[in-house]
Amino acid sequence: MSTLKAQARPGPSLNGTPAAKPRLFDGYAAHPTAWDELFDRHGTPHAHCTALVERLGKLHAPEFQSRRTSADLAFVNQGITFSVYSDRRGVEKIFPFDLMPRTIPAAEWAGLEVGLVQRVKALNLFLHDVYHDQRILREGVIPTELVLGSKGFRPEMVGFTPPGGVYVHICGTDLIRDTDGQFLVLEDNGRTPSGVSYVLENRAVMKKVFPHLFADIRVKRVEDYPRRLRDALASVAPAGAGESPCVVVLSPGQYNSAYFEHSFLARHMGVELVFGADLFVQDEVVYLKTTRGPQRVDVIYRRLDDDFLDPETFRADSLLGVPGLFKAYRAGNVTLANAVGTGVADDKAVYPYTEAMIRFYLGEEPILRNVPTYICARPEDANYALDHLDELVVKAVNESGGYGMLMGPSSTAAQRAEFAAKIRADPRNYIAQPVVTLSTCPTWTEDGAAPRHVDLRPYIISGRDTWVLPGGLTRTALTKGSLVVNSSQGGGSKDTWVLEDDR
Amino acid sequence: MISRVAEHCFWLARYLERAENTARVLEVNHTLLLDFHVPVAQQWRPLLIISGVHDYEAEPSAEGVQAFMTWDRDNPFSIASSLAWARENARIIREVISGEMWERMNFYHLWMQGHEGRGLYDANRSEFYAEVRRINQLLHGIADATMSHGEAWEFFKLGTYLERASQTARIMDVKYHTLLPQVEDVGSPIDNAHWVAILMSCSGCEPFYKKPRPTPIDPGSAVAEFLIFDEQFPRSVRRCLWECQEATAAAAGTPAGHKPTEPERQLIALIAYLDARNIPDVIREGLHETLTRVVDSVHEVGAAIHAAFFAADLRPTPTRLQSPPTAHAGATQTQSQA
Repeated sequence: MSTLKAQARPGPSLNGTPAAKPRLFDGYAAHPTAWDELFDRHGTPHAHCTALVERLGKLHAPEFQSRRTSADLAFVNQGITFSVYSDRRGVEKIFPFDLMPRTIPAAEWAGLEVGLVQRVKALNLFLHDVYHDQRILREGVIPTELVLGSKGFRPEMVGFTPPGGVYVHICGTDLIRDTDGQFLVLEDNGRTPSGVSYVLENRAVMKKVFPHLFADIRVKRVEDYPRRLRDALASVAPAGAGESPCVVVLSPGQYNSAYFEHSFLARHMGVELVFGADLFVQDEVVYLKTTRGPQRVDVIYRRLDDDFLDPETFRADSLLGVPGLFKAYRAGNVTLANAVGTGVADDKAVYPYTEAMIRFYLGEEPILRNVPTYICARPEDANYALDHLDELVVKAVNESGGYGMLMGPSSTAAQRAEFAAKIRADPRNYIAQPVVTLSTCPTWTEDGAAPRHVDLRPYIISGRDTWVLPGGLTRTALTKGSLVVNSSQGGGSKDTWVLEDDR
Repeated sequence: MISRVAEHCFWLARYLERAENTARVLEVNHTLLLDFHVPVAQQWRPLLIISGVHDYEAEPSAEGVQAFMTWDRDNPFSIASSLAWARENARIIREVISGEMWERMNFYHLWMQGHEGRGLYDANRSEFYAEVRRINQLLHGIADATMSHGEAWEFFKLGTYLERASQTARIMDVKYHTLLPQVEDVGSPIDNAHWVAILMSCSGCEPFYKKPRPTPIDPGSAVAEFLIFDEQFPRSVRRCLWECQEATAAAAGTPAGHKPTEPERQLIALIAYLDARNIPDVIREGLHETLTRVVDSVHEVGAAIHAAFFAADLRPTPTRLQSPPTAHAGATQTQSQA
């Protein structure tokens, strides 16, 4: 065969035969021990994933790659980004998004939903109790000094009941799945949980990129979240607010890393996005500065920590807050969501007692279980943790975002020595947990589909009623073997599908 | 609406309009120099003067001035700076402007920052300036069709027309700085070509020619008259000021017949000043002097808008609002769903 001829008629390897272009899940090598969200131990899709695996699996790798490129482009063009603090000109990055969805069967979700509602109910009752009668402390269910010594405990809240009696209006509870496929609660975020805008944007992009998947598979909607949130907040407005209370979203400002989310929520809730300087307090009433004079504000969904809310009550150097806001709050003239002082309920050293809270307040068995936790404030737990640092995850109780953490098995001797010293110096500030091998989900990597560890953050909204957003944010580690999924540590996210039915 | 948000709307529009006008001036100068020989020293310096740049130290070469006025982020009047500030204002009030507007704004921000914009600038200068013009035109089209025409919209309009009034005046003033006015040049082919170029930079050729006027008339006066006084042309100074007056009244919610707010009062005075004159008066008093007066007055109107709507001390004893409070009409008015 002459060279010329060979060029004119390329051989099969250049001709795009199936052999040259493997399909998406060909050769997917599951993690040896982790539970996989799509496939069982034998590499067969779970029953509820069959349709998804079959349809997505028809794609060749290059086709999938090209859809991925267009999804990334959609995020960049829409500016769905978070800021990186270190750069003055404000470098904006996209939160890496993986196009392979994580699915949860309808029946399993129904159980999770009940468990989450139960948990948030108990957390709200606990907060009310802590700031009023402190029955749970007097009866010795939770050590008093652990609660009253928590950084999240706000003495200013004692004796005050927020409008509607709700403390945690928005809760983000982090769930993980162990090697048996059982969901466990890793922590509750009861202050200002973030990430829900990605749930909605991820879904919007998935619908653009894979419209046919949604035509074939019935997935529960997530788009109602902003409306539900607005209604829930309006339902717990102060008594005098009238028929349509004025709800605003309070953001620390355009340089905050989550500014996109603040703006997104305000836009989709149909309410104003405000900064601290847009508000002022007069005669214990909060007003908004408008082009036509002051207008009264009834509910503030604040995306600002307690410390920064009001320089007259909390940190005096805060320029982000509103002077006099807390007095207006205590006077019952404005609702803050979440309430001030909820940090005491999501303190990682209080977390181990949530199962006890459920039994104490509701007289029910907890539906969702916690990860076993050693509280270093207890000497015997601290000793155990110190002896087993190489097997445990150690976390600082008030940190989040994957900061202030020791991953025992992958740590160096120097890191362990550093944490041992920290624990001895301030045991109240640390907890330790056994390493849980998080479940995995097929994720697109340079080598094709490969298992990566994931967690799940459902969002629970409480106003007069409680509602759970179907699914939530699935965060995924992008590095092989990594168990840390936080976006600040290089994690990404996936669309989370709660199925309408499990055919 | 929130004062701060109104201010961002206003400035978003001003920066967009400024970027467009800078591109227009650069484009027309670029084209003009292809046709006529002008001493090098006079070619590009006037553009710096009308843009208010007084500290440009290098010799104003063609490439130097164009790069400075297009890309230099340290120059607050450059196209790149104007678009970056427009985009930052848009980002802050993303929940107020429509999603489609934001997406386009962001698209062009990335276009300017990436190699696409730069590549076009290097390969085809005129097309690059035309594309920059289209950014503002496109965004206005999207805004008109997708944003609620409420208070935010009025501030957007106000920013656009206020900036444009001042820019049209500045563009005409190029004439003053380019050709040292010498009596024997008036009415010469070069003089006429310059007037046509100024008309072109305001997209005014066709409306100008279509307008019936007595002949013969000196083309310089005719163009100046058109660009200052025309009632219908959307870039004439008078028309822009009238649009500003309308938008100011609408933004303030001042009913007809009521006492105007301070910025509206100033606009009425400025329009009256123009209406009291015709083009021979303007030429006699000095075109440059009249245009300077317009530019300075527009600057003062800007300050009055700031004082009346954005920075007013809004903390005097608020009147106890009845329940339900009035915030809600404003809240829904300024929102647009993506």
